[in-house]
Amino acid sequence: MAFLEIDGLKKRFGNVEILKGIDVELEKGGFLVLVGPSGCGKSTLLNTIAGLEQITEGEIRVDGRAINDLHPSKRDIAMVFQSYALYPNMTVAGNISFGMEMRGVPADERQKAIDKVAKVLQIGHLLQRKPSQLSGGQRQRVAMGRALVRDPKLFLFDEPLSNLDAKLRVDMRIEIKRLHATTGTTIVYVTHDQIEAMTLATKIAVMRDGEVQQFGTPAEIYNNPTNLFVADFMGSPAMNLIPATIATSGNALSVVLQREAREPITLPMANAPAGLSAFQGKPIIFGVRPEALTDPEGAERNASNIATADLHIEVVEPAGSDTFAVTNLGGKGVVARLRADANIQPGTSTPLAFNLTKAVFFDPATENRIR
Amino acid sequence: MSAVATPARQASGGINTKLVNRIVIYGLLALFALFYLMPLFVMLVTSFKTMDEIQNGNMLALPKAPTFDPWLKAWGETCVGLTCAGIKGYFWNSIKMVVPAVLISTMLGALNGYVLTKWRFRGATLVFGLMLFACFIPFQSVLLPMATILGSVGRFGVTLQNSVGTSFGLGNSTVNLVFVHVVYGIGFTTLFFRNYYEAFPTELIKAAQVDGASFFQIFRRIMLPNSMPIFVVTVIYQFTNIWNDFLFASAYAGTGDAMPMTVALNNVVNTSTGVVEYNVNMAAAMIAALPTLIVYVVAGRYFVRGLMAGAVKG
Repeated sequence: MAFLEIDGLKKRFGNVEILKGIDVELEKGGFLVLVGPSGCGKSTLLNTIAGLEQITEGEIRVDGRAINDLHPSKRDIAMVFQSYALYPNMTVAGNISFGMEMRGVPADERQKAIDKVAKVLQIGHLLQRKPSQLSGGQRQRVAMGRALVRDPKLFLFDEPLSNLDAKLRVDMRIEIKRLHATTGTTIVYVTHDQIEAMTLATKIAVMRDGEVQQFGTPAEIYNNPTNLFVADFMGSPAMNLIPATIATSGNALSVVLQREAREPITLPMANAPAGLSAFQGKPIIFGVRPEALTDPEGAERNASNIATADLHIEVVEPAGSDTFAVTNLGGKGVVARLRADANIQPGTSTPLAFNLTKAVFFDPATENRIR
Repeated sequence: MSAVATPARQASGGINTKLVNRIVIYGLLALFALFYLMPLFVMLVTSFKTMDEIQNGNMLALPKAPTFDPWLKAWGETCVGLTCAGIKGYFWNSIKMVVPAVLISTMLGALNGYVLTKWRFRGATLVFGLMLFACFIPFQSVLLPMATILGSVGRFGVTLQNSVGTSFGLGNSTVNLVFVHVVYGIGFTTLFFRNYYEAFPTELIKAAQVDGASFFQIFRRIMLPNSMPIFVVTVIYQFTNIWNDFLFASAYAGTGDAMPMTVALNNVVNTSTGVVEYNVNMAAAMIAALPTLIVYVVAGRYFVRGLMAGAVKG
């Protein structure tokens, strides 16, 4: 039995269904990231776990106990808010101990708990300051301190890093991951940033329009997206989704990609998924991640199915650690990820290797994966 | 040549128009200031003159032999109606009425604003609209219905007095005035606080809920300590309005011991017997105007401080 279980959760505001039956579960000590574009219902889902929103249908259980009818303070949870929500009239120490004060914890115990948390987060020198005297990163720490001090069963994070600048965001992301590793707490984390989702999570739920599109480990989500939306949303740069057709040569299937002003490329598919044979002569969407489209020398050596084709390079973007090359296939810009020192010139024709082991296929009509 | 000369000419013309603009603006401002300060000046000057000097001298002239007697007389001796014990008793009457009325109406306004923004219920907007409507009801239209209500409450007070031995203040004129001003003030105080709390971050309330704070604990520990600017604005507004009110005061406490300052001042000035003592009248009027000035000067400082605190991000 999982530690956090959400069963058939529905949330309606009047006639509008915000959450359309969510089923998610998380093991103890796990890190669940709810990710999706704005308006997908991920924050609402978090608020229903916190008890700040009532649910219309379904059940939320923590450690086997249904909590969906309990008051937020009785659920044994702690929450870190997007704006940090530090009480501006109280000192840092006051902010951290407010919850304990409300629960009637004696003053000396409160002080001990404050000191302990301050040590973990290295905010001891800030305890007597007001939130307005803190920097963004310090506020973030205090907000986490306020959650940590409760020692709850479940931590909820609502886009905690979205107000920080890019460098600090990376630092705090590592810090959250370290905190999770050392304390072994169970965390539910909302973000719209798929990199945060990939780096932090043990489980990811990709959401859209109040539904979970895919639920799995980061590797599953990244390598085996169930539909076009997940494939497009997760990964940076995004997966190349190229309109293509399926042809037969002998008894093997092959993928035909249109090139601009030249004859189409035909990529033989040795390990085509079973469902693909039904699409002979029909349009499909061919998905290949930028790192699976690279210079032949940089291609994965142990990949079993590599096809090379000459492609016309339109733009080259050296990014330091990698070089990205943009070409055109099937009428769409396609990004290839090359080694930093790859010798490549825009406007020339260069051979690039497709790692077809990693390729995925989608039905353009249903947007679902062809397996 | 002309191309070189033109900018110089424009610049000098610019300076001239700028100067003229300044002179016009400051001149007009000075004129308005003078216009508004003139009555205050005459009042102050007159209140320090003797009667002889007032009758024979220039109204704008400074007092030749300044005297505090008119102020002392206004405070302790002048006749209000038939009793000649000065206005000091009425001054305290006003204080006894204003302080509870301001505090109660402000607290209720804060509570209303809190509920209307952070604990929204079905029809909250309608309720707020109706309360807003209360701001536009003319005083005069309330007079008679309110008199009827106060009359019934007073009779109930008498019944209580006879049966229990105490009326719990029901029927007392000061209590009546406090009640009237609270009822009439709630519309305004609610408007102030609702608009302030509308911009108050809701995540703070959510955080406090997760922390286990109750409805009133959130109000007392989170909302009120962060409401200083609007609190001061409301107190200044309510204090000025209630202290200066004449209509309700004269209608519900126009005679007798509970008469507030405004009514008493009117009675001082309207005394028809003997010589009109302008210096005493002016001193009494100054005393009547003083508390609102003091509240503004004292609280105004906090008001500015509150605004500054809000200006800092976070």
